[in-house]
Amino acid sequence: MKRILIIALLSLLTTSSVSIADTVEEQILDIKTREIAKTLRCAVCQTESVWESNAELARQMRQVIRERLAQGQSAEEIRNYFLSRYGDYILLEPRKSGMNWLLWVGPFVLLGIGGVLLYRTLGRWVAQTALIKPEETLPIDALHRQRIEQELRSLEK
Amino acid sequence: MIRAWHIALLLGVVGLLTLFYKGLWGDPRAIPTVLVGTPAPTFSGPEVNTGEIISLNHFSGKVVVMNFWASWCFECQQEHENLLAINRRFGSDPNFVMLGINYQDREEDARNYLKVYGNNFNHVRDLKGTISIDFGVYGVPETFVLDQQGIIRYKQVGPIIGPVYTHLTEKVIQPLLQGPLPQAL
Amino acid sequence: MFIEIGHFAVITALVLSVVGMVSPVLGLKTRNPVWVRIARQAITINFFLLSIGIASLIYSYLTHDYSVQYVAATSNSKLPIFYKVAGVWGGHEGSLLLWVWILSTFCTIAAWLHWKTQPAIMPYLLAVESLIMFGFLTLIVFLSSPFERLFPAPLDGKDLNPLLQDPAMVVHPPMLYMGYVGFSIPFAFAMAALFSGRLGEEWVKVTQRWTLFAWMCLTTGVLMGGYWAYYELGWGGYWGWDPVENASFMPWLVGTAFLHSVMVQEKRRMFKVWNLFLIILTFSLSLIGTFLVRSGVLSSVHTFATDPGRGLYILVFLAIMLTLGFGSLILRSGKLKSQIEMDSIISKESAFLFNNLFFLIAAITVFLGTLYPLLVETLQFQKVTVGPPYYNSVFMPVALGLILLMGIGPYIPWRQASPENLRRTFLIPAIIGIGSAVSLAFMGIRSLYALAGMAVVFFVLSVILLDIAKISSLWARRDQSNYLVGFYRAFTMNQRRYAGIITHLGVLVLVVGIIASTIYQTERVVLMQPGDDLQIKAYTLKFMGAQEVQGPNWVAQEGVFNVYQGSRFITQMRPQKRIYTVSQTPTTESAIYTINMGHLFLTMPEISPEGARVRALINPLILWVWYGGGIMGLGVVLNIFRLRRKEVTVSSTATLSPGPASASGGGLADETVAPHGSPHRDVALNLPPPRRKEA
Repeated sequence: MKRILIIALLSLLTTSSVSIADTVEEQILDIKTREIAKTLRCAVCQTESVWESNAELARQMRQVIRERLAQGQSAEEIRNYFLSRYGDYILLEPRKSGMNWLLWVGPFVLLGIGGVLLYRTLGRWVAQTALIKPEETLPIDALHRQRIEQELRSLEK
Repeated sequence: MIRAWHIALLLGVVGLLTLFYKGLWGDPRAIPTVLVGTPAPTFSGPEVNTGEIISLNHFSGKVVVMNFWASWCFECQQEHENLLAINRRFGSDPNFVMLGINYQDREEDARNYLKVYGNNFNHVRDLKGTISIDFGVYGVPETFVLDQQGIIRYKQVGPIIGPVYTHLTEKVIQPLLQGPLPQAL
Repeated sequence: MFIEIGHFAVITALVLSVVGMVSPVLGLKTRNPVWVRIARQAITINFFLLSIGIASLIYSYLTHDYSVQYVAATSNSKLPIFYKVAGVWGGHEGSLLLWVWILSTFCTIAAWLHWKTQPAIMPYLLAVESLIMFGFLTLIVFLSSPFERLFPAPLDGKDLNPLLQDPAMVVHPPMLYMGYVGFSIPFAFAMAALFSGRLGEEWVKVTQRWTLFAWMCLTTGVLMGGYWAYYELGWGGYWGWDPVENASFMPWLVGTAFLHSVMVQEKRRMFKVWNLFLIILTFSLSLIGTFLVRSGVLSSVHTFATDPGRGLYILVFLAIMLTLGFGSLILRSGKLKSQIEMDSIISKESAFLFNNLFFLIAAITVFLGTLYPLLVETLQFQKVTVGPPYYNSVFMPVALGLILLMGIGPYIPWRQASPENLRRTFLIPAIIGIGSAVSLAFMGIRSLYALAGMAVVFFVLSVILLDIAKISSLWARRDQSNYLVGFYRAFTMNQRRYAGIITHLGVLVLVVGIIASTIYQTERVVLMQPGDDLQIKAYTLKFMGAQEVQGPNWVAQEGVFNVYQGSRFITQMRPQKRIYTVSQTPTTESAIYTINMGHLFLTMPEISPEGARVRALINPLILWVWYGGGIMGLGVVLNIFRLRRKEVTVSSTATLSPGPASASGGGLADETVAPHGSPHRDVALNLPPPRRKEA
């Protein structure tokens, strides 16, 4: 983490010192294109985004995104355009609607249910164990702990 | 003694295997398109051989069969003869138009391809891929049928061969040409 | 000619695998050990036969025998020799052969290694392993034979897929398969335990090293796959949540859960059914992965050449294995009543169970994400995509929970932890964790993921370090030596525990690498003309021009970039746009320069008269991902090859057991736990006995 900060600081210091002839800069259009292209699937690839893919179709799609951005369309409008042409398949992040909720909340619901079930089972086991061996509960434990703490203290001295 | 987790485990295994079995027979070509039933997006572009600009607007009121193809596509060669046959059969109908859309291709390759495999209809070059993206094309070959109102009625991913050809001609194009409000599909 | 010998050898191996399946059963029926011996010989001979099979295939590669269909499809005379050998596992058929070969190697080792010590389990073990081998050999011989001839033979081969022509690809598949196949040994032991009814702790103890070994191979395989994707695919990432990647990740997650929960069975004889379930699930997921990758059910839209016959066969085999595994578990579970003894919910036992819960949920998340498109297609006839954004928001929180548990589980005692105990162990680390997140937030880090991740990392790290400091100082004082010696003593006294801790530290390093390189990646994509500059962070890239480069089986446009830091020249980078001549496949070759364990990563996806499209990335700390992997591997190696535990001369109190756990609580695994009711039941007692220096 520190290193990143150092890098960031260095970049602040050095940008001013370099003399630049023909510096190419990313335009805002490029940055926006990237943001949108990263959320769309390259339709002909294995789970690659339009941004990452080198496929011809992906290149053309990036061009379409760029042109539509230049025309002043918003990211949402552009995504909806691709959605209307290719369907849900084109979105890398499945929409939060209908059956897709299964996907989005399923794991968390399972985690919740599993957690509660596990906690209750553990509680039952603890109760059972206590029933079987009632005579050996905390007192002995506490005694031992006391002894060990004494020994610890003697060590630390 | 049967316990709840026995049943859950069995159901899980059986369900999973069923899903896999179904998935095995799922046809990867049968991509449901969101476009069937919606108005076809309009487009224009140069004809492959003549360079004359062709626009979909020229064909309003007609049944249009659009075929996306490329010279580097093997399956396009397989279906090419059938495409020519479709145009021979319906081409005389004043309400029928057949259009090829040349996809991700070089002009000279496309011209050569048509010379070698024969040609009897017009082909529009999709220069920047915008036509393909407008039609939600994944790859080639893909074929669309538009009705007289310009609504997309049918889409086929993969070559028009065998039963697909028969279905396309008898169950899609023929009825669309006959009735003003056909029950295609 | 040679290829026919190989073909014949593999067919013979198929027959022998039937022998290996049937004869142990006969042995059990007739109570005649000769039959079991025959099965062992069959498995051993199979190893040699399959070695001949692989050797004949390698031979065909090296001699350019393009009359062999598989060789013609995946090799070429211009292919460098290195990749000619790797080409054996560059395609479906050959990689299957490698799979069975590894399986036969492991089976043979297991059969000879455990022959004397596990006579009762041996017949079942041999039968189960032979069944797995039979399943895969049938697939090879009848449906995916790499030995098919091609008439007429082509003059030259179609070349290996250019993306696979990479050093990492030479090692990655064997590692991955060693992981998958390695889990088949504990699986077979578990099945043998179920069939034979010897359901004690023995199979767990015997397979412990096998499990660790398999886990290490799988981890290495997965990380190496990531490394390959990183510099070969050229998009600057190492994990794309692709179905193929997920297929290897799922058995890893469940295998890791198994690795942890068997410790409970070893120490406390609990969770027997659960452990059997986990190992059966782990191996099943390896098989499911094989099915998903090879049947084409999850492939992209335009792969028209899927072969349902092959997929159907794997599915049938999968069904048999799942039924066998889970079926026998269900039938036997009645006999597996383990005596549950649970003294408190706040104990190491329950920490292990929560660890398992999180691992399973993590695996379910990946499973769901991978199979959801198939589910939707079957139910609703639609196609959806589940991409990285999904996993980032659903998998990551679960993973964070797992990392948090890494700082709790090993440091909470068996049976019961007192509030005092918890406070002493976790209070300071919790403060450090939260404090670090707060200060990072002040330093300008805004990503919630990064903050939560770093808080957890710092928490776990300080728990681990505080514990090491405590135990080292205890040992140092006991031996009147310095801390380093103290640490060494502590380490050797309980190597299994501290080897595990090293693996945990590796995970922390890996996590920091992932956080830094994904959240703090800087990316620039621009069109450049020769002479142009590009500024990225502190670095200036000057595009000097492009040149043509000729490789053994490719030609490339190579961009030359001078890299300056400030005005100081540091290096020259040369990304390429290659075209492999035979297959006419273009690839983008990245150029990588290492800065402070991070990378400056450069690719040139397009080059035309308009200029070169240049993609420059700074991936900070990305090497930590693989360094972390290396540390994890080191931990496992230290765990497998343990020094013999030194005898401690206990001069005084005999009640104190020799295995010193940390002062703060229980150990990770190896400390002894007294049975319920014995005088020393609290593990916190397991401290080094005070010893006076005696002349």
